[in-house]
Amino acid sequence: MGERHLRAVRGDGDDPDARAAAAAPGDGSPARGRRERDALDSLLTRVGLGDEDAYDALYSAVAGSVLGLAVRIVRDREMAEDVAQEVLVDVWHRAARFRPEAGSARSWILTIAHRRAVDRVRSEQAHATRLRTHGAVPESLPEEQESVVDSMQREWESARVRAGLAHLTDRQREALDLAYYRGFTHREVAEALDIPLGTAKARIRDGLLRLRDLWEVDR
Amino acid sequence: MSDDQSVHALLGAYVVDAVSDIERAAFEDHLSECEDCRAEVASLREVTATLADAEAIDPPPVLKARVMEQISRTPQLTPTPAEPEETDAPAVARESGQDAPATARPRRRVWAPLTAAAATVAVAAVGVALLLPGAEPADTSAMERDVMMVASAPDAHSMDLDLGATHVVVSERMESVALMGAETPMPSDGMEYQLWLLMDDGSTMAGPTFMPDKDGEVMTMMHASLADVSSIAVTVEPMGGSSQPTSDVLAIAGM
Repeated sequence: MGERHLRAVRGDGDDPDARAAAAAPGDGSPARGRRERDALDSLLTRVGLGDEDAYDALYSAVAGSVLGLAVRIVRDREMAEDVAQEVLVDVWHRAARFRPEAGSARSWILTIAHRRAVDRVRSEQAHATRLRTHGAVPESLPEEQESVVDSMQREWESARVRAGLAHLTDRQREALDLAYYRGFTHREVAEALDIPLGTAKARIRDGLLRLRDLWEVDR
Repeated sequence: MSDDQSVHALLGAYVVDAVSDIERAAFEDHLSECEDCRAEVASLREVTATLADAEAIDPPPVLKARVMEQISRTPQLTPTPAEPEETDAPAVARESGQDAPATARPRRRVWAPLTAAAATVAVAAVGVALLLPGAEPADTSAMERDVMMVASAPDAHSMDLDLGATHVVVSERMESVALMGAETPMPSDGMEYQLWLLMDDGSTMAGPTFMPDKDGEVMTMMHASLADVSSIAVTVEPMGGSSQPTSDVLAIAGM
């Protein structure tokens, strides 16, 4: 297990939420997944009450994903660390607005992270440049993506995502790749792939629904 | 309704942030009335969270140090937005069915005294960074587009500023303040105008600096939650801007 998990436990040794949150992000066993989700939800709720120890444990559980996602999207390590810092501070700032009944803490946090990273990409590059630089064809699927995998859980998680993406049609995958990993708007996706707008929107949504169905079966 | 249909069709694009600010606002309006869409958005956000988790890398210790230092002087929002109709967090508030009744947590403010403003600046940095000198110069046409989007937001409202023929347009839904005007006098050498948000608690949030072009036209904008903003002000600051106002307020508009 990665060092970050051990840190979380050390940082807050008697804290069951911290321990469970640190246990195994992405461990697919249903009981584990549920426990991890509840633990993170409860940590974020406590962060909303100003609990810095809870924040410390939450940080250890999510910072790696926040940073990794930012790196993937903005493609510049330094800028990605900047984005990650903003996101992680924003999580603290907004924590009291988190409503566990409306979605998990992890998705709440990673939604902020994705939005910030995409905003950064869009402000850095004008649309035309972005189309020119990356071209119409998604050049790297996660298979080719180099990332530092420091734990079994992460490998497992990546493998699960790769397997899931492999179940999409090529068209769904390329639409999702441009939209999720590159920050294209659906208009830009349509333009880049030379398909109607409605088709672009449908491919993105169908791709996500397909992944959801696949992963719900695993859980 | 065909209109409703087209909004509904944005669901996937909305979940992956592949929408414009206007589309996002429209979709969030729709979400507030459509339980099915809320449930689908929530379930698809779990999917995108899994995609994100697969990207995890080890964060450098220095990141944690910076974050912990920064949160120690960053105030937290209260549980309920000032206006329940409006979303406080562009990415996260409403889409997850956040119009559900607020939980019965006591309202509470945690303001770190004195340093709150500095911290708030950092929180707003995403909106501001690209406009500050020294950062990448903002693409003018992109800024014009953004300003126009704010001006055309359904909840936009405009206030005059006593700085040439200048006004600010604010949209709470888009969490944006856009400033535009003409006949703005040049500030003295080495100085620039800077936009500020004055908060209810007396702190200030630094906005971008801006200069009139050769025709005296000005335009700038910033993104920030407007829930706790009491007024919008402009000062003259040394080139590069300041983190706290260093001169008298030249022009001010109350919210």
